[in-house]
Amino acid sequence: MSAHNDSNPPEPVDLSNPKLSRFEVYTEGLRRDDIEIIHYEPRFAKPGTKAEKRMERIVGGLFLFSGLFATAFVVAYIWWPWEYEGAATWRDLQTWYTPVLGTCLGLSLLFFAVGVLTWAKKLLPVEELVQDRHDGGSSSDDRKIAEATVDNMVEDIGLKRRPFLVKAALLGAAPLGLAAIAPLGALIKDPGDMLTVTGWNAERHNDGEPIRFMMRDGAMVRPDMVSVGGQITVYPAIDHGATNQYPTSPVLLIHLRDADAEILRKNLYPMYQDVDALWGNFVAYSKICTHVGCPTSLYEQQSQRLLCPCHQSQFNVVDNAAPVFGPATRHLPMLPFTVDEEGFFIAKSDFLVPPGPAFWNRPSLPEEDEK
Amino acid sequence: MKRRKGTSDSLLTKAGGELDDRFKLAGPARVLFNKVFPDHWSFLLGEIALFSFILLLLSGTFLALFFEPSMVEVTYHGAYVPLQGVEMSQAYASALDLSFEVRGGLFMRQMHHWSTLLFMASILIHMLRIFFTGAFRAPRETNWMIGILLFWLGFFEGFFGYSLPDDGLSGTGLRIMEGMTVSIPFIGPWASAALFGGQFPGTSVISMLYIIHVFVFPLLLLALITVHIGLVFAQKHTQWPGPGRTEHNVVGFRMFPNYVMKQIGFMLFIWGVLGAMAGLFQINPIWLFGPYEVSVVSSASQPDFYVMYLDGLIRLFPAWELRIPPYFTLPPVFWPGIVGMGLSVVLPLLYPALERRFTKDRGHHNLLQRPRDNAGRTSLGVMVVVFWIIGVISGGNDVFAEKFDISLNAMTWAGRIGLVVLPIIAYYVTYRICLGLQQHDREVLAHGLETGILMRDPNGRFYEVHQPLAEPDEHGHTELEYNGWVVPKKMNRIGALPPADKGFFKSIEEPSEDGRTERRDEIESGKH
Amino acid sequence: MAASAKRRRGWRKRLGALARFTGALVIVGGLYSAFSPSLYAQEAESNAIDSEAVKGQELYDTSCISCHGDNGEGVEGRGPSLIGVGSAAVEFQVNTGRMPMAAQGAQAPSTEYPVFTEEEAEWLGAYIEYLGGGAGTPDDLDAMVEEADVAAGGELYRVNCSSCHGYAGGGGALSSGAHAPSLEGVSNEEIYQAMLTGPQNMPVFADNELTPEQKAELIAYAQYLVNDDKDPGGVFTLGRFGPATEGLAIFLVGMTALLLTTLWIAGKS
Repeated sequence: MSAHNDSNPPEPVDLSNPKLSRFEVYTEGLRRDDIEIIHYEPRFAKPGTKAEKRMERIVGGLFLFSGLFATAFVVAYIWWPWEYEGAATWRDLQTWYTPVLGTCLGLSLLFFAVGVLTWAKKLLPVEELVQDRHDGGSSSDDRKIAEATVDNMVEDIGLKRRPFLVKAALLGAAPLGLAAIAPLGALIKDPGDMLTVTGWNAERHNDGEPIRFMMRDGAMVRPDMVSVGGQITVYPAIDHGATNQYPTSPVLLIHLRDADAEILRKNLYPMYQDVDALWGNFVAYSKICTHVGCPTSLYEQQSQRLLCPCHQSQFNVVDNAAPVFGPATRHLPMLPFTVDEEGFFIAKSDFLVPPGPAFWNRPSLPEEDEK
Repeated sequence: MKRRKGTSDSLLTKAGGELDDRFKLAGPARVLFNKVFPDHWSFLLGEIALFSFILLLLSGTFLALFFEPSMVEVTYHGAYVPLQGVEMSQAYASALDLSFEVRGGLFMRQMHHWSTLLFMASILIHMLRIFFTGAFRAPRETNWMIGILLFWLGFFEGFFGYSLPDDGLSGTGLRIMEGMTVSIPFIGPWASAALFGGQFPGTSVISMLYIIHVFVFPLLLLALITVHIGLVFAQKHTQWPGPGRTEHNVVGFRMFPNYVMKQIGFMLFIWGVLGAMAGLFQINPIWLFGPYEVSVVSSASQPDFYVMYLDGLIRLFPAWELRIPPYFTLPPVFWPGIVGMGLSVVLPLLYPALERRFTKDRGHHNLLQRPRDNAGRTSLGVMVVVFWIIGVISGGNDVFAEKFDISLNAMTWAGRIGLVVLPIIAYYVTYRICLGLQQHDREVLAHGLETGILMRDPNGRFYEVHQPLAEPDEHGHTELEYNGWVVPKKMNRIGALPPADKGFFKSIEEPSEDGRTERRDEIESGKH
Repeated sequence: MAASAKRRRGWRKRLGALARFTGALVIVGGLYSAFSPSLYAQEAESNAIDSEAVKGQELYDTSCISCHGDNGEGVEGRGPSLIGVGSAAVEFQVNTGRMPMAAQGAQAPSTEYPVFTEEEAEWLGAYIEYLGGGAGTPDDLDAMVEEADVAAGGELYRVNCSSCHGYAGGGGALSSGAHAPSLEGVSNEEIYQAMLTGPQNMPVFADNELTPEQKAELIAYAQYLVNDDKDPGGVFTLGRFGPATEGLAIFLVGMTALLLTTLWIAGKS
């Protein structure tokens, strides 16, 4: 029941009574919706007081201001110079286009909003009503009838009497459901060796000829192109080798100082020793992080670390790029390489272990697992 | 019924009659117009999400007129000088064009992005309100679950939208998603190949995300939002306990005109804030990021804030990898990325059921709880919030490290330790605070309010005069039960010190209104 | 006497403006018309020491020697050897206030108030150049930057620079407390010298990795990024940090404004 348990619920009124006022008819509607008025009075006791007029003026002013700014928005949208013309100074009008649009539209909407809200808060009657809440399910009659209706329906269809039909329908529907989702299978592709073979695979991409190192602009890379303490990003010199078609191929080619190269040679994993993976003081690491695949390209040439900017994995350049900090668990694979007779870097083979993020059946070599 | 004179009235009546003849509206319309809504600021938080969603639909439609979801390689010849002649995907080129060569396009793009952030932020705040006040309890568990689903739909909808322009940040985000996908045992590589049409990034993912972003998910969101609001309407809104408010009624004001006017006003206000932000605050300047290339990345690469906690967890998770050489690997990203995300979906979905099970409280609740009155739940909520915030901060720990000159490694370790320790501390502290507040409420009810007036008794002892909230017994105690209402804690809350004057700049004469007595009535009616 | 010395120094300075790192060269009296770095590398092997280098040595022995050791040989655990780094590196480090360092740390931050004047930096540079030469800056760098292809520079920037300095040139964190500095307010010359010499943890981008033309393109893009690209999207750029500050803004600006509004809407009027 309503808040005022002690007061009696209002009596229904006779709507055919022509003497009823509009308000009486209205409150009869409230009564039928189980609503009772606790408090209802005009915001201003006497209509037309100074305070009320003032409030009306404020609200009206807000609406007019809104219209003013909306007009300004339309005018600015059409006539304000807007075309981006490259490097511009703040004095140029076009760099203000977006701010002007935002200011005009924002202010217009805000003024209108405050107008409506002020109207609602300051001019509508002060009211407090209480409505009964009919919570907790339907009446027992309704439930009983619904139950009987459903039972009757089940009986009509004969779900209980015709078990064979039910089973047959289920057996038929199951494949039908499969048929509905089967076309999604068009998306399924065999990943094949996409995660293990990169653009450095000579058999696949270069008719078995060794693949050269290429810079992004297509220039082949020679040893004299990387100075001590320097690094460049190189790609396989094949068609589209530097594009996203070969996402696991980018390699960071680093020219170490003598002392650092010495440490690295000492630390080199046997699998890299076996293939003589370094060339002089040069080393080539996969640029793709073994954590989730961002380019690990923050090379710190003094602390000899490679940092991945996505999740802060850090790799030790002078220790096979083994992870030393952060969430990565595997070293950055080294690309074994040498120099061909024309003096260009060439890859000796593909990476010995797959570069990039790990997956469940990622093949690995025993050296790796020891670390 | 007496008809009133006047052309406009009779016209309206006539039109109404015509409509009613056809649709039989008079009854349902009356029910709608008269419906009573409770009034409290915290009941308006969900509306922020609703209205920013509407703005998302509007601005998104504008963007879709100009955006081309294609990964075909083109050479850019648009207005932005530093990218002229650069090879890029059609998607990125069209996103640049709509920023620089469509009138107002940049404004619309920024509005779309700010609306997304507000949509997600308000869902979170709304969710916290629902949680801490126990509004999710029976009979509203379904609506809580729909709300959680809405959050996660919004999460992916936003992430996909962030990916569409195919700029450097988008691609980095997709790359991380690929790394997470591929880490799933057994199906990972297959799932990744299905998602990207072969090897990442492939040439199809943008168009796939596009149809999901502009059709499938908006449709689902729209449907679920409709059901969400429909259920609020049908089940009637919860209300705070207070004088005259019971489990079986709703105290408030009518839907029309009061509630609807406030809603319209609030909607325009939200749009106004978003419009102003879209014009004044630059967001996601894609032209600085360049096209996505697998070998290119930027320092401080982050997802939008609602994804950031997940990214933070991935950053903090130690380098633990399960290996059964040579056949099986479980990469570390699997735990925070896949398991962590899965738990963040499932646990909130199940929470109402779990609480029901542990508290054995099976009743219906239409009155809200003050957070202090359910210390266990409140502390648990604060614990989760602290966990989440540490995740978010760690998601941007490189920006923190750089701007506040802290070691990045130290930030990571602080995050790792903080993630384990701080939520526990937060739980304990919150629990104690809740109990303290409960205690104080009861004290005030028993002894009255502190008045700040010091007295000295004949023995020379000082004591403070208390204002009892009801007629005290012979020991000076009042027998007031605590019933979940707000307990007044200051004298002016019970009408002792009403504001001396009204008006902002100059005083306004209030004719005949006596706020003091009215407020006193409220308090006194509370004694029953 | 003083006047003539002053005049002579002024004359030298003008020559220095032509080619900053030719101190040792001028004393030997060689005439050089082409300024290729390799040429200087050879020339610096000359043992003659000029008066600028002598002044540089005096400064070195008071301010640098404790970390970089006698004759720039470096001190283990304190400072690297400076032999072969060249005058460009020295002038970069000293003019930006990075050196001398106030205290040992992961990062030598740039300061607004360098300890030495530009002239003193030149002397120091001359001394280090004397110890073993490095590379220098082309004289017409500003003109090269002016004419460079910004878009080509952008591609180079994203491959080589953005990973540390960020897409927007605002800098970024490195491991263990080090960071890549912001490019804001940095001169063409400083960027060039930094690339050439690889100060601190920055890798070297010598002329064989990026030709002077490519460097000019890169500088043109970097300058466009931090100076000319005036953020068409708004008055507030949120530091161009991306989603981190954008997320902060939606809570601090958007949500806060709207929460206050809810309080007003539902407040008693």
